[in-house]
Amino acid sequence: MSETAEKILQTRGKTTELDAYVVKASFDRAGTACAFALGDGTVAIKPLAGEAWHRVPTHEGAILALATDAAPQGWITGGDDGHFMRIGPDGAITLIAPFGMRWVDTVTSFTDGRTRLVACSSGKKLMVFDAANTKLKTLEHPSTVTGMVFDGKGKRIAASHYDGASVWLVASRSDSPRKLDWKGSHIGIVMSPDGDSVVTAMQENALHGWRLSDNQHMRMTGYPSKTLGLSFSKSGKWLASSGADSVVLWPFFGGGPMGKPPTELAGGDGITCTYVACHPKDDLVAAAFEDGLVVIADIGSARILPVAGPGRGPVTTLAWSPDGSHLAFGTEGGFAAVIDLSKT
Amino acid sequence: MAEAVNPEGQVPVTVLTGYLGAGKTTLLNRILSENHGKKYAVVINEFGELGVDNDLVVDTDEEVFEMNNGCICCTVRGDLIRIVTGLMKRRGKFDGIIIETTGLANPAPVAQTFFVDDTVKEKTRLDAIITVVDALNLPQRLIDSAEAEEQIAFADVIVLNKVDLVTTEALSAVEAQIRKINKYAKIHHATKGSVPITELLNQGAFDLNRVLVHAPEFLTSDEHEHNDEIRSMSFEAEKPIDAERFNAWIGALLAEKGGDMLRTKGILSYEGDDRRFAFQAVHMMADGDFIGAWKAGEPRTSRIVFIGRNLNRPQLRRGFESCQVA
Repeated sequence: MSETAEKILQTRGKTTELDAYVVKASFDRAGTACAFALGDGTVAIKPLAGEAWHRVPTHEGAILALATDAAPQGWITGGDDGHFMRIGPDGAITLIAPFGMRWVDTVTSFTDGRTRLVACSSGKKLMVFDAANTKLKTLEHPSTVTGMVFDGKGKRIAASHYDGASVWLVASRSDSPRKLDWKGSHIGIVMSPDGDSVVTAMQENALHGWRLSDNQHMRMTGYPSKTLGLSFSKSGKWLASSGADSVVLWPFFGGGPMGKPPTELAGGDGITCTYVACHPKDDLVAAAFEDGLVVIADIGSARILPVAGPGRGPVTTLAWSPDGSHLAFGTEGGFAAVIDLSKT
Repeated sequence: MAEAVNPEGQVPVTVLTGYLGAGKTTLLNRILSENHGKKYAVVINEFGELGVDNDLVVDTDEEVFEMNNGCICCTVRGDLIRIVTGLMKRRGKFDGIIIETTGLANPAPVAQTFFVDDTVKEKTRLDAIITVVDALNLPQRLIDSAEAEEQIAFADVIVLNKVDLVTTEALSAVEAQIRKINKYAKIHHATKGSVPITELLNQGAFDLNRVLVHAPEFLTSDEHEHNDEIRSMSFEAEKPIDAERFNAWIGALLAEKGGDMLRTKGILSYEGDDRRFAFQAVHMMADGDFIGAWKAGEPRTSRIVFIGRNLNRPQLRRGFESCQVA
C-alpha cells in the first residue's frame, strides 16, 4: 500500500525537510501560499507557484500558534518569546503586540471581507485587535486559554479553559461571557458552522459539547488518547476528531451525537490518528497518523485515498487551501509537503 | 552521574519545592550558575522570591485542576502540560527542565502531571523531587503548615539549608524530624544552597537500590504514633514477584487508600524477567517500567517504599509478601 500511498505525494507534492518541529500549517485566505510555523522560531512559506521555499525568522524561541491573517494574504503567529506577530505575503514581519515573559499560546482571525479581526491569547487573557493593530478587547478567563474560535459571522468568540468554555460577544460593551461549564481541563475548541454547537477536546481523552440553543450537553468519550485534531465538516453534519486508531466522526444531524455511536474511518491497524482536517467544501476529511500516513477519507462512501505513506514519524498538522485544491502537512521531524489535488 | 537524556530521548525533570524563605531560589540560582555547560529550561511561578538568571525562564501561574474522574486527589498542573509540550517543540533538546514551585504548593499535582499526559510521559521523565528546608525554621513550619510536611514526604532529595545557623544538637533534632516523615530521601547539609549539582540533578531517584542502602530498616521504631502524621516504611521480598498478583494487590490498595498514600516506589524482580521493574505512584496514579537488567550475582531483592498517613505496617507487609511466587 505504501507504494500507492507515496504515488500521490511523489507526483503531486512539493516537499522539503525543514529540520525543525512543524507546529502548524496554514494557507493564506487567497490560497496563494502555505506557511509552516516551526519550533525553531521561523516560518517556512511555500508559494503555490514555483518551486522555492522561503524561510522567515519570526520568533526568538518556538512558535506556538499560526493562523491565516484576516487580510487576503499573510499570517499571524504567537511564540514562546511572548510576541504576537504578523507576516506579510512578502515575508515582512511586524509586531502586533508583546506580552513580556508570557507565551502567546493561541491565535486566530476573522474577516467577512469588510471587518478584519485578529485575536491572540496569552495566559488567561484573550485579546482582539483590528487590522491596524489597535487592541479592541481584553477578555479575562478563570484560567489559561487553551483554544479559541470566532463564529462564522465574527459576532462571537469562544475560548476553552479549565472547567469549560466562555462565549463572548465581540462587539458587546458589557464584557461578561456566556459560561459553558464542565469540570476538567479543556484543551481545544471548535464551533459548528451554524454557530449553535461548541465542542472542546479534554485532557481526560474525551470531547465535550454544548448546544447553545437548548443548553444540551454532549459527551463524546472512548478515546484512548488525547484529541489534538478537531474539525467540523463544511456541511456541519460531521465532527471529525483524532485520538483513536481511526478517524472518529460524530453525527451532528438528526438530533445530534447523544446516544449514538460515531462513524469510524481508516481504522483497524492500531496506529493512532494524530490530526484531522475537514475539506472546506465537500464532506471529505484529511487524516494523519502517528507513523506518518496521511489519507483523505470520503465520509459518505467511506472510501480512503492514501496521500502519503508511513515512515516519516508523527504528523503534527494538516491544512486545506481555502478552495480545497491543495492539502499541506508537516511532521515532528520537520518534513513538510504541499500536495496539489486539483484535476489536471 | 547518569546520562541526562536517556536512550528513549526523555528529558529529565527536576522539581524544586520548599516553603517560603527556605532558600529555594538561592539553590536554583546556584545550580544555574555552576559552570556545567548544560542547558536547562527553568519554570518558575509568579511569586518567585528572587530573579532567576537563565537563558530560558518560563513564568507560569500554578494552575491545578481536578481530573474529571470523580477522584479528588487526582489533581494535575495543566500549565505544566502546556509548557512541557511547548518546550518540546523548540529546536535543540535541553539537558533538563527544572520546575520551581511556590512555597505553599502541595507537590502531588506536580508529580501527578507526569503520570497523566501522554506527551509529557513520552518526552520527559520525573528525575527527582528536591525539597529545600532550613535548619532554623523547619520545626516551626512543621507546626504551622501542612505543606511543609508534605513537601518533605514527597522528596527524593532534601537540602537541609542554613545549617550554620543552628547548634549541632538542634541540627540532629531537625534531621530526626525529617527522618520521621521520610527516611528514604537523601539529606544534604548546606549553607546558602551549597550542594554539588551532581547530587541534585540526574539522580534517577527511582533507582531505589541506592536510596534504600542509606536507610536501613533499623531506623524503624514501633513507638506510638498519631495516625494522621506522615510516616514512611519499606518492605523487601526475596522471592520473585508475580506481576499479576502485585498489580491486583497494589491496584486495590491504591484505589482504597490512595488519598493517604502520598508516594509509593518500588523496584521489583518479576518472575521470569532479568530486568528490574520500577514502580511508582503518587496517591492513586501509578506507573511502571523496566529499567535495565539486574547485575550478575546481585541478589534480586524486591523492595517497596510507602510514604503516607495511616500506614498499617503488618497489613502492608503481608500484602507485599503475598505477591511473591508461591
